Amino acid sequence: MITFEAVTKRYPDGTVAVDELDLEVPAGKTMVLVGPSGCGKTTSLRMINRLVEPTEGTILLDGTDIKARNPALLRRGIGYVIQQTGLFPHRTVEDNIATVPVLTGWPRKKARGRARELLALVGLDPALARRYPYQLSGGQQQRVGVARALAADPPVLLMDEPFSAVDPLVRASLQDQLLSLQAELQKTIVLVTHDIEEAIKVGDLVALFRPHGKLAQVAPPERLLAAPADDYVAGFVGFDRGIRRLSFVSTAGLDLDSGAVLPAEATVTQALDAGRPWICVTEAGHPRGWVDTAALATLPGGTPLGQVAAEPIGHPFTVGRDSLRAALDAAVLSPAGQAVAVDEAGGVLGVAAFDQLRSAIQHGAIQHGAIQREAAQAPDGPRGQETREVQHAQEGPVP
Amino acid sequence: MMWSWIPENASLIWQLTRENLYLGVVPALIGLAIALPLGIIAARWRWFYPPVLAAVNILYAIPSLALFIALIPAFGLTDTTVVIALTVFSLCVILPNVVAGLRGVPAAVTQAATAMGYGPLRRLMTVELPLAVPVIIAGLRVGVVSGISLASLGQLIGVSSLGYLFIDGLQRSFPTEIYVGLFLVIVLALVCDLILVAIRRALTPWAAAQPERRQRRLRQLTEVTP
Repeated sequence: MITFEAVTKRYPDGTVAVDELDLEVPAGKTMVLVGPSGCGKTTSLRMINRLVEPTEGTILLDGTDIKARNPALLRRGIGYVIQQTGLFPHRTVEDNIATVPVLTGWPRKKARGRARELLALVGLDPALARRYPYQLSGGQQQRVGVARALAADPPVLLMDEPFSAVDPLVRASLQDQLLSLQAELQKTIVLVTHDIEEAIKVGDLVALFRPHGKLAQVAPPERLLAAPADDYVAGFVGFDRGIRRLSFVSTAGLDLDSGAVLPAEATVTQALDAGRPWICVTEAGHPRGWVDTAALATLPGGTPLGQVAAEPIGHPFTVGRDSLRAALDAAVLSPAGQAVAVDEAGGVLGVAAFDQLRSAIQHGAIQHGAIQREAAQAPDGPRGQETREVQHAQEGPVP
Repeated sequence: MMWSWIPENASLIWQLTRENLYLGVVPALIGLAIALPLGIIAARWRWFYPPVLAAVNILYAIPSLALFIALIPAFGLTDTTVVIALTVFSLCVILPNVVAGLRGVPAAVTQAATAMGYGPLRRLMTVELPLAVPVIIAGLRVGVVSGISLASLGQLIGVSSLGYLFIDGLQRSFPTEIYVGLFLVIVLALVCDLILVAIRRALTPWAAAQPERRQRRLRQLTEVTP
């Protein structure tokens, strides 16, 4: 656990970077510091491993004042990942990763063995071990940076805009990986970002800073979206926070209409008898396309639906795994204005119209628990409490 | 051009070449040995560098012959006089490179090293100096090549080098000697330069040639990231 007690950082020219910060980062949780540039989030991060010394106040690591620790030894127990990776250009990937173990006196051979384990852990080919950093792509370098930070298995990980320098696709995959690593390793992570989406995606808790180092709100992401403390927070979170909040509402238990789903072998007459404006046609259980029943009246009644021109589905959503946000997006993109629900195997379960989605949204808004993160590989447990109440116990099952 | 003169004087030519090599390389190495600590201090405490650089530039502006003459009262017409003078010149070209090399280490790298628990000395020896090697060797190359060419001036105060062939050839109006001397100075400089390039390549396998780097980058851009 990391505790900031009335921490202030004032520079000699009078600039206040961090102003009386009180913050508690629970053990095993991810705390995201987010805010505009110049809000003191990076300064706060760097005070934890004493790259910056506070002017006033105390920072405790597991109850011990970090000022009492030797800086070099303190830092060897804290992983550090930065945007520019900071990889050593003159060392191979494995020697980069082995840095802290070697510093703490491991034999080089053992440290390199550990480096190879970590390569696998962060999803890199062990064949990259002997390459130099310049031979890797930006995303690969960033993974090596994470592996290096984890090498000595430190309980605490500091990440300063770790994913800001890579393209959005790579960023999303790095974020997903961080979530699954965290589900496995349960590190105490402090991550700095200016991207509120990233904060909401990866944080167990989000600390939103105002300019000049004042805290605006600390809360779990869905609380931040549902109940911003003031206009500043609401403005920073964005005008579409209502929709984004649906990322935390599950589609399990959504009311689905299976009457609007027919196989390709069904006939035009059956489609008209269904009494729905649009029919979702399936082929071997999988979605094939939308058929507009208004266009069917002129066709012979015995024509199989498989032979009728169909509109594309767009994307379906997976019940239980995808969030209501994904379901709503699917409905918006669909020509029928309805989202196609599929199971894990991709088989159609039914369709959901705006009406069903709306009632699920209203229901979901008051419902806590059963909240799933969109796109997360490792769903985790309940995330409904306020800052001080967050449970330290291990979270839900890891698939 | 009298080709037969060369084999007839082979042993003289060989001796002069070795002397010239000594006068070119030794001052550059001493210059490096002085430039390293000075450069490390200058890179660490910024206020230290401007006065040192000014002093070094003033020394560099002194004509080499004048410096030889100024040193003669203390060291006489000896190798030492030439070595000291050439050391001063090589220091002038190597020192700025040591400072630039150390300052050129990306801030993110030094910060990451500190954050991983390196002490200042260990960081300097195992991170900063290795990364400054290409720039330092670039300075050393200039120092060695100019040292080899300046060494011939030592002949003017009687210190033996390939410069002997120029002066003797001029006095005897015997161009062959001058051509041979010129050829050997150039060859010596080129060979030393190539050796330094080879040393740099061996020391810095991580800094591949620029075009190759660009090719690799291209390959990565077309490759799918996992």
